[in-house]
Amino acid sequence: MSKIELEACAECDLLLNPALPEMGEKAHCPRCGNLLQRPRKQSIERTFALSIAGLILIFPANLLPLVGIKILGNTKDGNLWSGVAALFQENMWGVAILVFLASILFPLLNIILSLLISAHLYFNKPNAHLARWMRWLQHLDEWAMLEVYTLGIIVACVKLASIAELKFDFGLYAFIALLIITGMLSSSLDEYLFWKQIGELRQKVGHED
Amino acid sequence: MENYARKLAMKIEKSALTQGLIRCHECGCLTRQTSHAVHCPLCDSPLHARIANSFQRTAALLLSSLSLYIPANIFPIMTVTQFGVGEPHTIAGGIIALIHSDMIPIAMLVLIASILVPLLKMLGLGLLLLCVYYRWQINARPWTVMYRIIAFVGRWSMLDIFMISILVSLVDLGGVAQIIAGPAATAFAAVVVLTMFAAKSFDPRLIWDIQQ
Ligand SMILES: [Zn+2]
Ligand SMILES: [Zn+2]
Repeated sequence: MSKIELEACAECDLLLNPALPEMGEKAHCPRCGNLLQRPRKQSIERTFALSIAGLILIFPANLLPLVGIKILGNTKDGNLWSGVAALFQENMWGVAILVFLASILFPLLNIILSLLISAHLYFNKPNAHLARWMRWLQHLDEWAMLEVYTLGIIVACVKLASIAELKFDFGLYAFIALLIITGMLSSSLDEYLFWKQIGELRQKVGHED
Repeated sequence: MENYARKLAMKIEKSALTQGLIRCHECGCLTRQTSHAVHCPLCDSPLHARIANSFQRTAALLLSSLSLYIPANIFPIMTVTQFGVGEPHTIAGGIIALIHSDMIPIAMLVLIASILVPLLKMLGLGLLLLCVYYRWQINARPWTVMYRIIAFVGRWSMLDIFMISILVSLVDLGGVAQIIAGPAATAFAAVVVLTMFAAKSFDPRLIWDIQQ
């Protein structure tokens, strides 16, 4: 089958010639304004490095206490897991699962998938699962909600400030670092380039057969 | 659906589908529409020119989230117990409590994330569905921008849920001071998830397909 050298806009289906923007430029759909492409400098290398950093940071961010409070002489620390555990104990398992997925599991999977994909592309190693991983990553992206969780921490702290003494633990700094790393990770990942490379790796395997 | 296909064939504007091309919604590569091309050659995902049953799925998800929005606002989202006296808070009650304690910016933030975003999102999705159903001839570009905003802001409504999970885990001193999540938390979480799925299952290309 001949390769089709055209593109279509994801949001209005307009048939387009490939935009081929330069580094630092953005290509938008002329009809609906949808962002088509945004090439990133050294996207694969950066994604690789950032996902390793994220994988290291996710342990302290998950395991160490984020905030502690002191009410009437009683102290209590909380980390990412304690919220989930407390909701489970109150039989709010639906909410508990949702919080677990959005604040713990999906951010972790997001980093692992980014690492797997970028490592394979960096070392030019074909893998039959690459396309599947990339699809999962794209679907997971909006369900990993560390930045929303951060806002939740801020609002909770403001509410508690009047009745309790607050103490910020080391885990919170790890968490904020993780938040910055995941933000940089999603902005460094150039999906257009990644799919192109996955396609080329796939063709390479096809020719060797 | 067959109606769409016929309508599109008569159009002059060149959408990929009118040229017999299907864009893979996962990887973006174009494939010629044939009877045997059912999977994308690059990523193997099933090919659909438009999201399958987009209208029906979005409408079903929107209606379920709309009906859950009512219990989410009526029932208490959490109960604050201080010295044995329990005080239930609804979503709106929590915002009013924040205003009373002079935390206006935070109150605005919660108001936007928990009340305005879900409401405007459901309203916007409803308008998009009406537009497709009645084939309104509109300037499709601002409508696509509206869709894009709806798809982007939905996740921020999880703010209240995360905040409650943190409060519940920290404030746990038995009868002295305790915060317990209420039934509205489950309903509200369901509203957020369902509207996110509704936005995802709506296909903005349908707006462009109906313009003549
Ligand atoms: Zn477009
Ligand atoms: Zn594909």
